[in-house]
Amino acid sequence: MRCVSLIEVAQLRKVFRRADKKPGLAGSVRHLVERRFVDKVAVDDIDLRVEAGEAVAYVGPNGAGKSTTVKMLTGVLVPTSGTVHVEGRVPHKDRIANARRVGVVFGQRTQLWWDLPVRDSLELLRDMHGLSDADYRRNLERLDATLGLAELLPVTARKLSLGQRMRADLAAALVHTPPIVFLDEPTIGLDIAVKDRVRAFVRELVAEGTTVMLTTHDLGDIEDICRRLVIIDQGRIVYDGDIGTVVETYARERTMHFSVAEAPASLAGIAARLPDAAVAEGPSDAQLDVTFDPAVVSSARVLAAVQAEADVVDLRIDEPAIEDVVRRVYAGELGAGGMQ
Amino acid sequence: MSAAALLEAAPSGRLPFAGRTRARRSMARTAFRSLVAHQVSFLFGLLATAFAVLSMLYLWRAVLANGPLHGFDWPHMRAYLLVTFVAGSLVSSYVDYRMAGRILQGDVAMDLVRPVGYQDARFAEALGFGVYELGTGLLVAAVAALAFGGVPGPAPGELGAFVVSALLVMPLRFGIVYMSGLVVFWTQNYIGVQAGRIALVTLCSGALVPIAFFPGWAQDVLTYLPFAGMASTPALVYVGHLAGAEAWRAVAVQAFWVVGLWLLGRALWGAASRQLTVHGG
Repeated sequence: MRCVSLIEVAQLRKVFRRADKKPGLAGSVRHLVERRFVDKVAVDDIDLRVEAGEAVAYVGPNGAGKSTTVKMLTGVLVPTSGTVHVEGRVPHKDRIANARRVGVVFGQRTQLWWDLPVRDSLELLRDMHGLSDADYRRNLERLDATLGLAELLPVTARKLSLGQRMRADLAAALVHTPPIVFLDEPTIGLDIAVKDRVRAFVRELVAEGTTVMLTTHDLGDIEDICRRLVIIDQGRIVYDGDIGTVVETYARERTMHFSVAEAPASLAGIAARLPDAAVAEGPSDAQLDVTFDPAVVSSARVLAAVQAEADVVDLRIDEPAIEDVVRRVYAGELGAGGMQ
Repeated sequence: MSAAALLEAAPSGRLPFAGRTRARRSMARTAFRSLVAHQVSFLFGLLATAFAVLSMLYLWRAVLANGPLHGFDWPHMRAYLLVTFVAGSLVSSYVDYRMAGRILQGDVAMDLVRPVGYQDARFAEALGFGVYELGTGLLVAAVAALAFGGVPGPAPGELGAFVVSALLVMPLRFGIVYMSGLVVFWTQNYIGVQAGRIALVTLCSGALVPIAFFPGWAQDVLTYLPFAGMASTPALVYVGHLAGAEAWRAVAVQAFWVVGLWLLGRALWGAASRQLTVHGG
């Protein structure tokens, strides 16, 4: 069967069976004789098409089914029902052929042999992928230019910092120059500097024509790299469309959290000074939150308004998180227009 | 080279045979290196196996002090014990320990994004670990042999059968260890499975007590089960208790189980991979 799109997913479903144990020792013992299970639907009949060269952000809260989808696209997991095709192949049936065409990073796991220098792990991958020495060297040079790989090669994997390990793992996933790359939370736990480096690297991949599917929590990753956004929640795709629309509509709001010396008698005074922002009580009396759109009200104006009414001791700004966007989309605020 | 050309260059399908051989050799070498990286662990392992083999030798010297039993005199028992010891040190626990750990932690996902068959890769790694295990096993056995006044050489005329039988030990042991490692897909815990597997193999392979000491019915059964081939068969050929056609018949049973366990392992993997649950990352 020849498929039209590079990645085609139809009515894909994955159900995990989980032991249903009552709490405590009694529950564990009881489970030995009376085995009960509950079904957890991780991926619930999703449809997805990705064209060659696309960069897709695949986002959703924890446990939404992102990783499970990626694992079915890479042949790690066998779907419960539905179909998956990557370049016309069924990944779990043709896992090895698929593995030669895709590169995968699971941010929380590593491809590297823990007790060996990074170089040894990469050479093993060279041999697994059947790369010639010339190709291998050329690919390493490319990876070195953006990832600073050379300094990592002689280091034992267990001694790498998290950021270094991620750079080495990216190299391990891409040493065979795969045309399709799945990155599952590649910036998780990294500091800003390394995040920037990883994002720059992924942008470069996309610019070269690699098809990238990026799973993340971090809105920064997405805005930097992808134009298309797919939001999944509780196993269902709730939004699939242009990233600009969502970000402009839902990710513009910032919230400023103020701590004030003395609780103001009423918030009405502040609210009157800021008609375009939402003023709310904070978690305690001496705290208040102002939510606003920086394009309409500047941060400086918000600050000035609050200072005019109260004695500001401290403040903190919350950038919009993708979770907020997801939550709002899921709550139906985006409307059917964005739905597939 | 342009990006498009690079992407175009990425191949598909399986590697040709020569490439697969290179990949396997590389996996074996990597597995070997990962063990050599821990020198202290190596020394402790050596010490532990040395004590195990010494206690077996002292025990059997006492048992045979009053003369031969079931056709074993003391020098041949020494040879038998040392051959079973070396055989028993192969595919001991690195393979399944690593496998089970990675399955339980979900790192098996990383094994599956690589372009190599799962069983194939584990076997290649087992060969790498095996070189290390064989090295330490032979070292301890040689020292023990010297300490106990040497051992007789292999039975003349059975050298061919002994070599073939010895070569079959590793894939045979791999078969059982691989399957026991896969059992964690269902049990979610490996300590009990491994202990059970070690006890079963140690007893039924004649590594603890030669099978000739077992009751008649048990001997008949064990002759056709895969376990004897994991230690007893090469040792009996070495000391000459299995000779001529009988030796080759035992080798044939080994070969049958090598293939049989490989196929069973493959079927078990097919079932296990549907069972696979990888939570998080």
